[in-house]
Amino acid sequence: MFLPEFEYFAPETLEEALGLLERYGEKAKILAGGTDLLVMMKDKLLKPEVLIDISKLIELQGIQYVPEQGLTLGAATKIDEVQHSLSIQKNWRALAQAAGELGSAQVRSMATLGGNSCHASPAAETPPALVALGAKVSLACPGGEREILLENFILGNRKTALQGGEILTRFFLPEPSPRSASVYLYHALRGAMEIDMLNVAVYLALAPDLRSCQEVRIALGAVSPVPLRAEKSEVILTGSKMENSVIEAAGRLASAQASPISDLRATAQHRREVVEVLVRRALTQAYEVARAGKEVKG
Amino acid sequence: MKKLITLNINGQDFDLAVSPRDLLVDVIRKKVGLTGTKKGCGQGDCGACTVLMDGHPVLSCITLAVASQGKKIQTIEGLSEGEKLHPIQESFVEQGAVQCGYCTPGMILSAKALLDRNPDPSEEEIKQGIAGNLCRCTGYKKIVKAISAAAEKLGGKEEERVR
Ligand SMILES: Cc1cc2nc3c(=O)[nH]c(=O)nc-3n(C[C@H](O)[C@H](O)[C@H](O)COP(=O)(O)OP(=O)(O)OC[C@H]3O[C@@H](n4cnc5c(N)ncnc54)[C@H](O)[C@@H]3O)c2cc1C
Ligand code: FES
Ligand code: FES
Repeated sequence: MFLPEFEYFAPETLEEALGLLERYGEKAKILAGGTDLLVMMKDKLLKPEVLIDISKLIELQGIQYVPEQGLTLGAATKIDEVQHSLSIQKNWRALAQAAGELGSAQVRSMATLGGNSCHASPAAETPPALVALGAKVSLACPGGEREILLENFILGNRKTALQGGEILTRFFLPEPSPRSASVYLYHALRGAMEIDMLNVAVYLALAPDLRSCQEVRIALGAVSPVPLRAEKSEVILTGSKMENSVIEAAGRLASAQASPISDLRATAQHRREVVEVLVRRALTQAYEVARAGKEVKG
Repeated sequence: MKKLITLNINGQDFDLAVSPRDLLVDVIRKKVGLTGTKKGCGQGDCGACTVLMDGHPVLSCITLAVASQGKKIQTIEGLSEGEKLHPIQESFVEQGAVQCGYCTPGMILSAKALLDRNPDPSEEEIKQGIAGNLCRCTGYKKIVKAISAAAEKLGGKEEERVR
């Protein structure tokens, strides 16, 4: 399998990269880790004439934590850096868990966090975790920069809010509340190297009584073209005591809201059943961790 | 259009004329002539083409050669010191973890990347570490055993990873 011909640029600054993107427009594609793009080019699904490699841009690198505010991650941060970051493991655990489930060790050391969201596959690993954690993304163009919620960035299967000429530069995760926890769970047919049949991420913050839910975000992956917020479940949980009956109702509501498809991995009906179970489990785990104060800060 | 690039492979610089579309695996095998690195699926699934780049395991079948400049690339040929096998290679031989051998270079490099980061992995961690390497012959048991034995031999003394 060979790649089609293209021209290759490896700019050293964001400005230079944006300039190249402006010059070549539709003919150009951004190359990050290449684990989606090069595979698609080999399969002749894409035939860009120009590749702009962003791996040398320092503006897109690194994980930075600012206490009281949150975490900034460069779009070119590798998935394995996210997986092994102690700060993420402690305070944004759902993201570390999701990163650890993406592909293989080789894929994780090549693939970037930005590429995972920009590729916008409905079964992608990190977007549901990022959505549950309230992530925002920064998009740069020659004129400046804009910031939007990741939820509003992923628009459909392989569709994003990126306009021609824009590059995703950073992710921002707000500081989680004290008394909070996040959990990522997935269901697949095999243990490794498998496209998820379904995944669920939950962020749960408890009220000071440590029994009721103050704030919750639930994101479901692979049940709709974009990470789906289980809003109805969130509504009944917010302000309620985290009792089994409420958690069970939340699972049922999430399952009713999911609009999965039937494909070779599972039928729609089976997926809906799994949603219910995973949401219940994720909420229970998040509640236990938040209560136990394992992730309590400050 | 060909570009002139320099690749550092196993500590040696190679000046090469490549086209942007040339994949690292093909350049290593055909232009540099190191055929220990194998090519299986060509799309990231089997791990036969695994090489280390600045200590990280990468799939050379979905890596551009032009994008590999300035990195320290290590292939299976760079592991032994002359005739003396690396402890991971030794363990693979001793434990019978090699049959046809096609997966072995990738397996050993994945094992090296794992042990450099985690010198004392559990069985589960070893399985995770080689989850991206397919073997059609041995059934993995002996491979896992070999990596575990290598960890013991190395006694946690592998050099630290860069990142
Ligand atoms: C063997 C294998 C297994 C995999 N397993 C999984 C899995 O389990 N879960 C999963 O979610 N994914 C999986 N993937 C898919 C892939 O690894 C991820 O989606 C990865 O995060 C993509 O990142 P990348 O840096 O390689 O992106 P690239 O392939 O470089 O780019 C992907 C797309 O995003 C665009 N892009 C990238 N960065 C930017 C940016 N900063 N600004 C604007 N556009 C950008 C590119 O132009 C391209 O269209 C797997 C891939 C392989 C080959
Ligand atoms: S040949 Fe590279 S992963 Fe199979
Ligand atoms: S020994 Fe034959 S593929 Fe592993």
